Parts: sequence; C-alpha cells; structure tokens
Amino acid sequence: MGDDIMNYNGGVAVAMKGKECVAIACDKRYGVQNKTIATNFTKIYQYGDYCFVAFCGLATDVQTVAQRLKFRTNLYELREQRKLKPNVLYNMLTNLLYERRFGPYFIFTLVIGLDPKTGETFVYDSDNIGAVSDNVNLATVGTASDYIFGLGELFFKPNMNPDELFEATSQSLLNGVDRDSASGWGAVVYVVEKDKVTVRELKGRQD
Amino acid sequence: MALASVLGFKSNETFNRSLQCEKTDANIDEICPKLNIENIAQFITLPPYADPAKYLKMVNESVDRVRIQFLKGTTTLAFKFRNGVIVAVDSRATAGGFIASGEVKKVIEINPYLLGTMAGGAADCAFWERVLARHCRIYELRNKEKISVAAASKILVNMIFEYRGMGLSMGTMIVGWDKRGPGLYMVSDDGERITDNMFSVGSGSIYAYSILDASYKYEMSTNDAIDLARRAIVHAAHRDAASGNIVRIYHMKETGWEKIEEKDTNDYMYQYREDKTMNF
Repeated sequence: MGDDIMNYNGGVAVAMKGKECVAIACDKRYGVQNKTIATNFTKIYQYGDYCFVAFCGLATDVQTVAQRLKFRTNLYELREQRKLKPNVLYNMLTNLLYERRFGPYFIFTLVIGLDPKTGETFVYDSDNIGAVSDNVNLATVGTASDYIFGLGELFFKPNMNPDELFEATSQSLLNGVDRDSASGWGAVVYVVEKDKVTVRELKGRQD
Repeated sequence: MALASVLGFKSNETFNRSLQCEKTDANIDEICPKLNIENIAQFITLPPYADPAKYLKMVNESVDRVRIQFLKGTTTLAFKFRNGVIVAVDSRATAGGFIASGEVKKVIEINPYLLGTMAGGAADCAFWERVLARHCRIYELRNKEKISVAAASKILVNMIFEYRGMGLSMGTMIVGWDKRGPGLYMVSDDGERITDNMFSVGSGSIYAYSILDASYKYEMSTNDAIDLARRAIVHAAHRDAASGNIVRIYHMKETGWEKIEEKDTNDYMYQYREDKTMNF
C-alpha cells in the first residue's frame, strides 16, 4: 500500500441524493496496511435525527473528529435549545477542520442531511482542511472513491425513490470496493427519508 | 538434435535443410542465434547501468510512472502428506491499493509431473519456469527417465543465481513426484533452495501458516488435506488485503498432478461463517 497516510487504514463512503431522501453508505473494514483487524468499523456517525456524517481516512482521526464534532453539536443543542440543521453541521465541521489548517486531520468527510418539513436534501463533500463542496447529487470519499465515482455516475438518476436510491448506492459501493484492496469486508447503508431512517447491512466480499 | 541421436537417427544434408526451412542465409546463426541452454544470457539484454536492482526498486515503488508490479501481495502454499503434495494459491494481483486482476494463474504447470508456484514477479516466474520445462524435457530425452524434483529445483536455482543482485523477484515452490516420493522445494531469487514438508509464500503466508500449523498431520487423508489447504487460503484471503478472489488447488500424485478445484474464496467464507469456523 505504500507509505501514503490516507491508505494506512483504508475505508470508503458514498452519498447519493434522491427525491426527498438521501442515502449514505460506508464499508466496515478496519485494517493496518495489508492486515485486516476488524470487520465492524463503520465510519458513519449520526448528529441529529436527519444529519449524518461519514469520515474516511486515518482511523484515529476518524474517531477523534467524530467525537470532537459531537462535543460541539451537543453544546450547540444545549445552548440554542434547538435541533441541528445540515448546513449548521457542515459549517461546524469546516471550522473544526480549519482550526488544524497547518497540522491537519487525515480524513475526508461527507455530510448528508434532510429537512423533514420541506423534504430538501443535502449532500456535502469536504476535504481534510474544511473546503466544502456545494450541495451535490453524488459524493464519495476514501481509498476506493475513484472506482465508486464511476459506478455512481452510471447508476445515479435524478428524483429516485428510496428503494431505487438504496439499490444505486449499495451497488456502486459494493462493486467499487471489489477493485480496492484496502476497503470492503461488508457495508452498511443509511437511507434517510422524511419520516424514517432505514439502516441496512450489506453482504459484501470478505476478501 | 538430442532426440535424433537417442534414436540413432543419421541425418543427412537434405533433412537438415528441410528442418531449417526458415533460414534463408547461411550466416543466420550469427545474426540471430538459436536459443540454447548455454546462451540464454545473449537473449536477455542486460541493462546498461551498474546496479540494476537499485534502479528496479525505484521503478517498483514510484507512484507517478509506470510501475512494474511484483506479486509479493499473494498467498501460495504447498505441503507434503501421505498421498503426495497439495498446492494451493489465491488469484489476486494488486498494484498499490488497486486490484489489477482477480484471475491470475499463480500455479505454473511446468510439465505433467512438475508444478511451480508464482510469487514475486509474474514474468520472472513464468519465463524461468518455462526455461526449466525445456531443461527437464531434454534431461528426460537424454536419460530416458523423468527428472527428479531435487535436480529440477537445482537447475532453476542455478539459473537464477547467475542473475543474483539484478532485481529478479521470485519466491517459487517446485513441487513434483519422483522415485524418492513426493518432492517440495522452495526456491527464491536470492539463490535460496530449501526442502521441507510445508511452505507458504507471500504477504498472506503468515495467516496460511497459522491454519496449516494448527491442523497439519502427515497422515491426513486426501480430502482432509485439500480441505486444510482450502481453509488456509480462504483465511489468508480474508485477513490479507492483497490476497483473495479465487482459490486454486492442485494435488501432486504418483501419476502426475491433478487440478482439484478453482472456486471463489468469498463463497467459502460465508460457508465457514455458517459452520462457525470463521467469525466476521
């Protein structure tokens, strides 16, 4: 795998938009270069009823940033006495990452969200120092992102319903990780709709 | 010609000319000499600088240029038991993190009673084992008996030793059956040649060894041996990121080798999860 720090632990996440629904999926591998240590390391964290963030890259930074962001969002909810919105979440994340501009965390992140009243969907993609993309249809981060982007662009259609969205997301992820040795070993998909969040575990290749 | 002299055949001018029908020039042997055991070095052009291994190391690890991909990320194993030798390999080729292929044939069928495994440089293993096949055939014709595994592996290691330090990468196991019974030699690019009952080569060999060491018995039945080899490769494929895809198993018997199976490791992993011998 070479000495690239972003490939040290491996891992991948993908997010896609549908009609009043968003899906985010990640693989479950935790490994150290070639050695696979665990197959239950999911990279998606929940920060509100309808907001999810996936972190991919160095595993220690994945956990640290997830926990530090949780601290800030908890404080926000206590002070403001209201629930987090996706654009507030991504602004907090940008600031958190930019605070470490000259000694950055080695992670790339995806933020997804849904507004339950209007059904408006949000998918944002951020690099490791907090440059956030505009609200996009498809975003991928991680070691297999190049392979998943190709498949994602192929399977994406505008205004998909939740089932089609689940199929498109899971197929892009499962087939993309089969071309990358540092990610895979199972996957988990969250589909967020106006009234519910469905979590599904995918049966993937275990090699 | 070796065969002709063995048979006591006396060749004449016309016969020789008809054999050499592709020759149009009497001096063709100087311009493009035929490949013989003795003059292989003429055909493999040596690089024009002092330390080929050091330069090759640069090309191997360079990220932005064309990379020569060495299959050290692999799992191959072979072990002797009561009824012969079992050889099992995976089929994945990785270039950095990218899985370049999931269908590489890592067992080289040298001849019907000799097998070689591929680990390290695919081209190195394939080429030198093909040269070895030629040597073995000539030996067989000259001496009217099959070559021993010890001799075959010795020929290979002597050829490789000529190129020591030049950046060849081979970690191959030569497997066969001769009049001394089953034979298993591990030959590597630094000129090492050792024999033992069990070997595993590649990045996934550590995982394969643990499965093999736990259940190996010389007196195993053939089915148990095949199952052990299969489990070892499947476990290595699961834990090692650079091994996986298909498991291929061969059985070396007194009558020659037999290909036992070529199946997807992932199917076996789910089957082993059902019977609780694997946990994920």
